[in-house]
Amino acid sequence: MAVTIRRLEEFDEVAGFDCGDEPLNNYLKRHAWTNQEKVSIGVTYVAVDKSAPSAVLGYFTLATSSVPRERFPKKFVRGLPPYDLPLILLARLAVDSRFSGRGLGHALIAEALKITLRVADEVGCRCIVTDAYPDRAGWYARYGFVPIEGATASGPQKMFLDVRTIRSAWSLESSPAERE
Amino acid sequence: MPPVVKENSKRAAQAQSKTVALPKRTHKTKFQADLAPAEDHMVRALKAELQMSSNSDFLSDALTLFRWAVSERKRGHRIVSESAAGERKVLLFPRLERVAPELTLPQVDIRWTERELGSLAELVSGQPAEPTEALIRAMRR
Repeated sequence: MAVTIRRLEEFDEVAGFDCGDEPLNNYLKRHAWTNQEKVSIGVTYVAVDKSAPSAVLGYFTLATSSVPRERFPKKFVRGLPPYDLPLILLARLAVDSRFSGRGLGHALIAEALKITLRVADEVGCRCIVTDAYPDRAGWYARYGFVPIEGATASGPQKMFLDVRTIRSAWSLESSPAERE
Repeated sequence: MPPVVKENSKRAAQAQSKTVALPKRTHKTKFQADLAPAEDHMVRALKAELQMSSNSDFLSDALTLFRWAVSERKRGHRIVSESAAGERKVLLFPRLERVAPELTLPQVDIRWTERELGSLAELVSGQPAEPTEALIRAMRR
């Protein structure tokens, strides 16, 4: 399988996508394109195989966000820079069940983290956060995401990964010339 | 340089465009540019290298190439040069990066509880963690 990851396009085949989770299937089929192109509340990237370049095998959605400095509890503000906190939200990530176990999730998160790094380089962002299903938190932890405390018992687990950690991983694997 | 249009004639044209469709422009536009001596030298050298004699052809080709680069970057594609030995260099050109989709990621509001914000503040103000093996592998991909 030769996988490419690119932005969702209008006529991508999403009807057959099934990751086993209805809200995630539904988002891709009904909302991802509109949210990307019409109302601009999330950009979706899809994994496709070069042999069938329109059939979506997996996807993730990114958006930016920020936390106004004044929203942080006062006792924590002292250690923070004197600005709002810019961050990237990994809003969704899913792989079609028929293609699970082939490294697609790894490929998708790798691309999401590389985009995060590029955004951080270009316009600045401090971290990437995601809302993980509690049973998937361990998978994100493998990439260094740590739980943000305070999640409700039934809700998703917010998780955090520092851009400096991603940059450090990147610099271990690339020479400066590659980024020029 | 773009043609100079007097403000009052511009307004008149705008008013006209509300009622009547403006005719398609058929005339050619003159393009004049002030080049520093080094840039002028560069243009001459490039024209010689590409065996071009006219400035119009030069500009037309340069425009085609620039337009292609912009459209690729707009689609999120990165522009890469690869040597015969497989060494790759990614083009990072500040003006092109302005059209890159990464810069147009939309902004959303996230709902945070008070406790989550406290935890987030602690994480942000702390030392960054060392990258995990999986993260290093992801960056290598």
